[in-house]
Amino acid sequence: MPDNTRGVFSLIIINKAGGLIYQREFQSGLRNLSTNDYLVLAGTFHGVHAITRSITPKIPISQPAPSPATSSTGITAPAASGYSYPNPGVPVSGLDYLETDKFRMTCFQTLTGTKFLLFTDPLTGSVDTIIQKIYELYADYVMKNPFYQIEMPVRCEAFDRHLGAWLRGRT
Amino acid sequence: MVVYSFYIFDRHAECIYKRRWLPRPTSTVGKSRSDTVSGAAPTGLGQTVRSTDDDSKLVFGTVFSLRNMVRKLGGEDDNFVSFTTSQYKLHYYETPTNTKFVMLTDLKSPSMRIALQQIYINLFVEYVVKNPLSPTEHPGGVGVNNELFEESLEQFVVRAL
Repeated sequence: MPDNTRGVFSLIIINKAGGLIYQREFQSGLRNLSTNDYLVLAGTFHGVHAITRSITPKIPISQPAPSPATSSTGITAPAASGYSYPNPGVPVSGLDYLETDKFRMTCFQTLTGTKFLLFTDPLTGSVDTIIQKIYELYADYVMKNPFYQIEMPVRCEAFDRHLGAWLRGRT
Repeated sequence: MVVYSFYIFDRHAECIYKRRWLPRPTSTVGKSRSDTVSGAAPTGLGQTVRSTDDDSKLVFGTVFSLRNMVRKLGGEDDNFVSFTTSQYKLHYYETPTNTKFVMLTDLKSPSMRIALQQIYINLFVEYVVKNPLSPTEHPGGVGVNNELFEESLEQFVVRAL
């Protein structure tokens, strides 16, 4: 294989229940797993993704005017208003990017809960555009396929073809 | 850069040290279960009260699963370094003896691998491992109870990071 698909190792699509519905390798670089291992990986990741969302640090909303006496002892009255998140404007998401020595994994979750996992080289840029394009192709060739049963494994030749062609054409 | 919390897990999956830098009513060393009853934990919004104890278990479960996943995909010599969500970044460092160092920071922080390594080499080994009085195993979650380590960690995080 020429290195035209440079940087993109493989793609995994996980349905909203945590089941593996698509797995394809574009370029070797990661170790090959059995289908069973991929199923386990998809299920595990589905759970971990939910946990990473729930361990988001919560920042208690400070009282408007804490009295100096309480703040010096480090004991403040319980805030009635609760907490906020570190980035209040952004919706809380689960794991988005995972970095290791050898690869980088990007997770994109659609509004309906389907997850796209893209494994790339750590140095590959513009992963977000790649994953957006893959989502677009998925919408066009999988979701619009009248024979595709929702939440079931993706077996659409047109999707395979266009995905491969687009990744190969990408420089 | 903001550091939210820091955890150390030993090779038996026991959380031996945890520290939070959130402006919590009680932001002291782990093992203090008082912040579960402090009332600061919100009960509204369908959220249940979760103690820091459970938090550390969730963090361990996450890094353990991700580490195994990374090893499976990238080979035995691959290392899980960090992950990012829309709200925070988690950094991970594992020593050859399977002691795991985990740090949660904000998104703007650079790679903390060196920092975690420094904490291990300069603080953990110096003050905890070389201390003849500190236990090598921590059955039942005795934890690192070492003033020198805690103080220097505090200084390291506040000054160096």
